[in-house]
Amino acid sequence: MRARDQSPVGEDCPPGLEELLQAVGKGDRGAFERLYEVLAPRVFGLVLRVLRDRAHSEEVAQEVLVEVWRGAARYEPGKGSVMAWVLTIAHRRAIDRVRSAQAGMDREERAARLEPYRPFDEVPELVVGRLEGERLRRCLDGLTELQRESVTFAYYGGYSYREVAELVKAPLGTVKTRMRDGLIRLRDCLGVGR
Amino acid sequence: MKARDPHTLAGAYALDAIDDEVELRRFERHLAACAECAQETATLAETAARLGAAVAAEPPPGLRARVLAEIEQVRQLPPEVASTPRVRRMGAVTWRPWLTALCVAAALAVVAGLGVTTLQARQELEQARRAEQRITAVLTADDARTVTAPATGVGRGGRGTVVVSRSRGAMVFWAAGLGDPPAGRVYQLWRLAPGRITSAGLLASSGSGGTVPVLSATDSDVDRVGVTVEPTGGSRQPTTTPLLLLNVPAA
Repeated sequence: MRARDQSPVGEDCPPGLEELLQAVGKGDRGAFERLYEVLAPRVFGLVLRVLRDRAHSEEVAQEVLVEVWRGAARYEPGKGSVMAWVLTIAHRRAIDRVRSAQAGMDREERAARLEPYRPFDEVPELVVGRLEGERLRRCLDGLTELQRESVTFAYYGGYSYREVAELVKAPLGTVKTRMRDGLIRLRDCLGVGR
Repeated sequence: MKARDPHTLAGAYALDAIDDEVELRRFERHLAACAECAQETATLAETAARLGAAVAAEPPPGLRARVLAEIEQVRQLPPEVASTPRVRRMGAVTWRPWLTALCVAAALAVVAGLGVTTLQARQELEQARRAEQRITAVLTADDARTVTAPATGVGRGGRGTVVVSRSRGAMVFWAAGLGDPPAGRVYQLWRLAPGRITSAGLLASSGSGGTVPVLSATDSDVDRVGVTVEPTGGSRQPTTTPLLLLNVPAA
């Protein structure tokens, strides 16, 4: 058993995601349907968290899930867990959507986007797997405020490090550094490693 | 302001928080050259995904049916042959050497214009003939498929055509009616695959507002070709909006 199988991303993550994805890579539609059941709530939840718009989120989630089908054979187990692979695709697609929407905004609209942001606790989505959620929360509590804000504003809020620097009123270099050492601390607390 | 040590960007990168394409590419080049940094960045990306895995929401009821219907239409990618560095989005790509455009008609024109058959001209002719044979092989392949699309852009006419043979792993592209590129500029052909854009060479003018056919190798995941206007000598990555974009048919 590999280390990541002993500490799956959510405790209600069924084992065997890798096997399912490998079968999907060979064109197994049944395997894809089973994988869909596990992935869809996470993909949709994450995209919705970043985009905060159900219609857009639905479109992006569809793109991501189709991409999982399309690229399944490209997944390399040595490079990370299935869930991380899928959620990385989902997060990037969501961020791409945020950035392309922003490109069409004028300066005032962009400034307005920086005003209301949602802290980690506010969005009432289900946190998957109570134990795993608790652990994440505990580990987040172990960060300094600036580390926590830098990491969660960027990840859940879809803000670039420049925008985060404006939000938290800290120098760019500091925010970059806090993102890195915050994630390192989180990684070590969660026991992510290979 | 640019970081003196690009590695401080590892966290921002793992959080998808770099919105400057230039900075992003620079960091990815850094990763490609530094195994230790790539390893650290991978563990940070895995950590970021834990944040993602902690939120979930009931997907809309119609989503499942739409996804399952769409995958019926989507061809899966084959496994990657060699392990390549992690790539993301367009632009952040591994650069591959590309086949120089084979300009058959241009080479033939040179030969005809000389009037005398010198050794060099004979070699050029032979080269042109071999190129032409390869082009013919693609055009006449059993699985050859053709796609034509009009050029876009205000006041611009013209169209592009691509003939692809997946069994031969090659395609032939040419354009008609584009007109000459602006002074100091050239037309450049690109192969687009998910997460990767590679040059397929510069397009030589055929002398009648079109371009001579270009033969190009085509990886199985190349799904579009595009033409952009670039500075003389071409660019490593497209710098302008494509004036032509064609879907390359799957096998």
